[in-house]
Amino acid sequence: MLLYAVVAADANAPETRGLHGHLLETIRGELAAIIVEECSERLSATSEESRAFAKIICDLATTISMLPIRFATMLPTRSAVLSELQANEATWRRRLAELDGLSEVVIRAQEAETDHEFGATPDGAGTTYLVNRAAVIRRQEASIAEITELVRPWSREIKVLPPQQAIRLACLVADADVPQLRDAVKTWQQTRSGRQAVVSGPWPVFSFVGDQEAVSG
Amino acid sequence: MSDATEKWPDTQVALVDLIDRVIGGGVVITGDVVLGIAGVDLVYLGLRLVLAPAHEVDQSIVLGRRSA
Repeated sequence: MLLYAVVAADANAPETRGLHGHLLETIRGELAAIIVEECSERLSATSEESRAFAKIICDLATTISMLPIRFATMLPTRSAVLSELQANEATWRRRLAELDGLSEVVIRAQEAETDHEFGATPDGAGTTYLVNRAAVIRRQEASIAEITELVRPWSREIKVLPPQQAIRLACLVADADVPQLRDAVKTWQQTRSGRQAVVSGPWPVFSFVGDQEAVSG
Repeated sequence: MSDATEKWPDTQVALVDLIDRVIGGGVVITGDVVLGIAGVDLVYLGLRLVLAPAHEVDQSIVLGRRSA
């Protein structure tokens, strides 16, 4: 069984087909339920499959409050799904209630074009490299602090994601506040030449399914 | 927020961020994760696998070594 999302115990999966073309089903516990697709085929874990999975999760999130389950989690039987449900449903139910009506946006930002190259020099001098690298890290930390303060009014929780050439922050935001957060980041980007900033989302709350390691909003 | 002439086209960034979150975020269940890549079955009984971005796996390995 391929697992898609944790939902409230009384929620119903919409009539949607999953990655393998089967209708999604809901396996219920007392406090929560898990949306699954019956399938015995192995996943090939291609980028197409991860994109298709993402689309299904995003579509589900438009109709139902949920905690998405990481791609590509499979359990062999219904009883295995029920067992996981019983072990975690109290925690999941509490988190579902906390996250109701909230979405995730990801902010990707970079101060200058050369930041991701962390000061590579033509002569390759080690000391120069380290000094430049330290300067880039200080700039990134300053940007993280600045953006965190910037988006704090609209963010219930903020999480710093591992950098990918640029710094990245995930913010847990009420759906109605997403446009204001976007505008604030756009304004921040325009205040200094060379700054790049992009807000993606709103997405299902992928980065906030647990309540640990988040910076309080 | 960006136009097409800028470094990060919005749609491309959105897709990258979404896929990154799909495989790096979400509820992690410590059940058996059955994955096969290129026809090779990567699972044996008792092994726990979770797909994750490489940079996060590297971090967890480092943390694991520190705690060992």
